[in-house]
Order: sequence, then C-alpha cells, then structure tokens
Amino acid sequence: MATRAMQEATFMILTALADGAQHGYGIITDVRDISGGRVRLRAGTLYMALDRLRSDELIVPDREEVVDGRLRRYYRLTPAGTTLLADEAARLQAHAAVALRRLNVAGGMAT
Amino acid sequence: MTDQEHLERAYRRLLGWYPREFRDEHGPEILAVLMAGAPGGKRRPGLAESTDLIRSGVWLRLRPGVPRSARTVRAAVRFMYAGAAVSTVNLVIFLALTGDIGARHAILGYRLTAAQVSQLLNPLAITEAVVLALVPVALWLWMARETGRGRNWARGLSTVLFALATLSLSSVIPQPVFNITFVPAVRLSFVPLLGPAATVLTWLAGAAAVWLLWRPASTAFFRPPGYTQARHRAQMAEFDHQAQMAELVRFRARLPRRV
Repeated sequence: MATRAMQEATFMILTALADGAQHGYGIITDVRDISGGRVRLRAGTLYMALDRLRSDELIVPDREEVVDGRLRRYYRLTPAGTTLLADEAARLQAHAAVALRRLNVAGGMAT
Repeated sequence: MTDQEHLERAYRRLLGWYPREFRDEHGPEILAVLMAGAPGGKRRPGLAESTDLIRSGVWLRLRPGVPRSARTVRAAVRFMYAGAAVSTVNLVIFLALTGDIGARHAILGYRLTAAQVSQLLNPLAITEAVVLALVPVALWLWMARETGRGRNWARGLSTVLFALATLSLSSVIPQPVFNITFVPAVRLSFVPLLGPAATVLTWLAGAAAVWLLWRPASTAFFRPPGYTQARHRAQMAEFDHQAQMAELVRFRARLPRRV
C-alpha cells in the first residue's frame, strides 16, 4: 500500500462509514457535520471517490432501499478499509499532537 | 411541469456525461443524492454542481482503470496524459497568440508585411493549424485509454507512433510545430519558442511511456491474445476437472445412505 497521505475527502468518507453503513446523501450530511460545515462533498466527487474506494476494496455495497421512489445504496467499510482508516487517523493524531505541543512550548498560544 | 420534474430532467441530462455502464449502475442513487440535496423550488442545477458532474463524467470516461498492481502501466498512462496536456497547452497558447502575430514578430526582430500578416491570420490557415494540433491530442488520449485497458495492439501502435514522432523530430527542431502552408520565411518564426519546446516535452513523455510499456512488469499486464486464450482454456479444463471431482464426491457420499 502506498504511504502517501490520504486525501481529506477520502478520509472524511471513510470516517462517515466508520460506525455503520450509510447511503450517499447520508455520507454528504455526515461529512458536513463532522467537519463543522467546512467539507461539502458534491455528488459527482462523492461517487468518483466511492467508485475508487470500491475498486480498492476499502468499502463494499451493503444493501439497497427505496425511499419515496428513490434508490438508496448503502456502503460499509471492509476490514481493509477499517485498518487503513485507523492507521491514517493514528498518523494524523500523532502529527497534530506534535504540532500542538510545539505551539504550546514556543508561544503558549495554543490551548 | 413541476419545479422538481424540471430539475430532475436537468440532472438526468448532466448524468449523460457519465459512461453508460457507470450511469446504469449508479445513476439512480446519484440522482437520489442530487434531489435530496436540492432545496424546494429549485428549478435548475447550480454552476458548481454542473461542473462537478461534467468533470466527474469526463474523468470516468477517460480513466484508464489500470489496476494498482500494474504500476509501470499506470505510470505510462500518466505520461500519455501529460503528453496530451502539453499538446493542449501548446494549442491554447498558439490560439492566444494568433491575434497578436504582427507585434510578436516585431519583438523578435522580424518585420512582417501587411500581406504576410493577413496570410497568417487567414481563417483557413488557423483552422488547419488547430485541426492539425488536435490530432496529436486525440492520439495521446486514445492510446492512454486503450493501453490502460490492457490492449496489446495499443502498446504496439503507441510504439509505432512514437517512432514516427522521433523520425519527424529532426525536421521539427529547426522549425515550428505548425509547419503548414505559410510562406517559408514566416513559417520559421511562427511559433518560435513554444513549438520546439512542446515537441521536445511531448517526445520525452512519449519516450518515458514507451519505455515503461515494454518493461517486463508491463508485459505481464499486456498478455498477448494467444497466451490469454491458452490460459483461459487451461483454467476451464481445470474448472471442469474440479467440477467432475466434486460431482463424484457428492455421488459417492450419497451411495452409502441409499444402501
């Protein structure tokens, strides 16, 4: 697996799926909430990312539902997707911890 | 027609940018997402939204779909896209400069007569140059797509095209890329810097792509048809054999119970 940093959108999508299967619009609203409204995925971008994640076997379709005559396909993480997200989260946390610690030491500005 | 129906029709039209198989599989759910995200009373898609759909659709159409394991082929395909990009930039700059041709030549120390300027700005000549410049872009994209799909003929054709480009390289270096029907003196300075630079850049991209395509790792990806068929037949025979054995096992398992 490449060691390149994961794109933010990818990270957020995997995070949205971390506690259970979700459908497309559910992922969009969840990602918006998690990021405090900063990351707004568009449908085209989302489905390109889902397609890529699926071909990399990080997610799989879970089930389909029809609500108000509209198709909802739910996706969930595979074990490989869970591992990758956990690794990436740990990596980001380590980096963030260093950044916060240094800011504290240097200026005492960060809380 | 209600606002909602109007909007849905517009979204369906935008989904037409997607490749058919992707649209067949994901069209309904993408449409559901788009409609769910639309506030009531919205009648037409926003600009950013439309751009996003068109961009994704075009990207999915061009996408090589090379598996991650075939790293050399993925890299080769990327070089081909780079070649297409350089060719496109070359064309765009060429178009941007056409309006200013007299001034540009004056800076370079050439004095063009009014007749020469009007000859260069002749719409037919410009159209011809544009069409000629679009051919390499189309070839790059086509080769990227077909090699990415593992077509072995595309690997051969890419190599032939690269050889042709190499042969024409010597004639191109002292001349611009667009050596078309201009008077010879003007032709030399038509695209003075950019032509050779673009040619060299695209040649390098081609060289890298062809080198990568013939690496042993790539050859494993481009299995010649004969090999695939032989392998396929062997697999089928193996499968039949396994199926027969399984049938035999089931048959034997049933025997004692009946006895």
